[in-house]
Amino acid sequence: MNEAIKVNGLKKSYRGKTALNGLDLSVKEGTVFGLLGANGAGKSTSIECILGTKQADDGSVSVLGCDPVKDRRKLFENVGVQFQECDYPNEIKVWELCEETACLYKAPADWKQLCERFGIGDKLNRYVKNLSGGERQRLFIVLALIPDPKLVFLDELTTGLDARARRGVWKTLEELKKQGLTIFLTSHFMDEVEALCDEICILKKGNAVFCGTVEQAKKQCGCDNFEDAYLMLSDEEDIA
Amino acid sequence: MKAFFTMLKNEIKLSLRDMNMVIFAVLMPLAVLAVLGIIYKSKPAFDGADYTFAEQSFGALCAISGCAGGLMGLPITVSELRERKILKRYRVTPMSPVLLLAAELAVFMLYALVSMLTLLAATAIFWSFPIHGSAAAFIGSWLLTLVSTLSIGLLVGGIAKNTKQAGVIASILYFPMLIFSGTTLPIEVMPEVMRKIVGVFPLTQGIELMKATSLNAPMENIWLPIAVMAFVTVVCSTLSVIFFKWE
Repeated sequence: MNEAIKVNGLKKSYRGKTALNGLDLSVKEGTVFGLLGANGAGKSTSIECILGTKQADDGSVSVLGCDPVKDRRKLFENVGVQFQECDYPNEIKVWELCEETACLYKAPADWKQLCERFGIGDKLNRYVKNLSGGERQRLFIVLALIPDPKLVFLDELTTGLDARARRGVWKTLEELKKQGLTIFLTSHFMDEVEALCDEICILKKGNAVFCGTVEQAKKQCGCDNFEDAYLMLSDEEDIA
Repeated sequence: MKAFFTMLKNEIKLSLRDMNMVIFAVLMPLAVLAVLGIIYKSKPAFDGADYTFAEQSFGALCAISGCAGGLMGLPITVSELRERKILKRYRVTPMSPVLLLAAELAVFMLYALVSMLTLLAATAIFWSFPIHGSAAAFIGSWLLTLVSTLSIGLLVGGIAKNTKQAGVIASILYFPMLIFSGTTLPIEVMPEVMRKIVGVFPLTQGIELMKATSLNAPMENIWLPIAVMAFVTVVCSTLSVIFFKWE
């Protein structure tokens, strides 16, 4: 199986404060990979360095065999990204945002179908700012899938969704994975990680403290519950 | 190109929803024209002039729209695109965020064009056709004034830390230029000393040039305004390319 993402010795610091301390990652094509860690552990910095929106101090990144900075135009025809923060104009409607996103790609997916699939097909004429938190989050997933990507980055994908909507999103992502999509996600919900991720990496203060499968993590810690294993590995229990 | 026009269409819609530019870049110049019309009626610009005061003001009024777009609208829009991380989102697409900035520039140029055409129509209907000289020369001077004003706005939007700062700088540039460079307050009614002082505004130079080309009036040194505006355009565009903050 080919590697969709390959990261070697990624380092990044802000004003002398280390955010990433030599991160190594490998994500295989057609799998779901979860990057976990507490707030401030370096997840967002990792994603930004992988995408090339932040310049790493050291290390190498290869995404779908491309350099994310040099081959930007070619690479991002095949990569969808959902960032955490709001990144849409204030007065825009759902269909306008979808249309504007679709026009950036040579061969975009049918965004009306995607909206239907994620249960916001009847909200196309609404202002994005007037959507509920869950609807907006589903719209952001739709936007990340509009490129008809081979690889998609979802940063905290189900934050703000209710339990049923979360299950719905999982199911759709499972289907997309079966069609060959590679998914790179971050999440604070361990049930979600357990349900979706083939492999995970846990970050703590810019270091990878665990890389492997959910089962391996549970075994290593001697826990039945993955959340317990996660807390043990990321040392969050000390804080609680 | 298709992407550019989709973006342009969307940006026009967003801007119309906001209404600010419709008021300040299209309706306000017409309002100033109406006020001048009420005050000066069909009086000639000065004793013996073969054009009315309103016709004389046409060039100046054409600058109001570019001033509102370039010095107020553009800096705030650009800094907002950055603050809302929209420019950042474009960096993870195959398109360059420059395309979005180009669409924004086009929106403000369209407002200026609409304003110029409505002023032209209004002046022609109530007085007489205001362009006495070569239309090409007038359009050239109009375009140079517009581009130099937009370049100032692009620089302010590109380097301002946040939307608030952009708004403050925009106000500092916009209001003095709007009032004192002869756009709203006709330069002809200012005392000589004041005319000398406001001559430093690039917009004043642009208005003088537009006035000369529209009225087909002789101008002492036609190259001075052209040089000033070309200089402003080159310096501001270069600086914004070098110092533009994408995040």
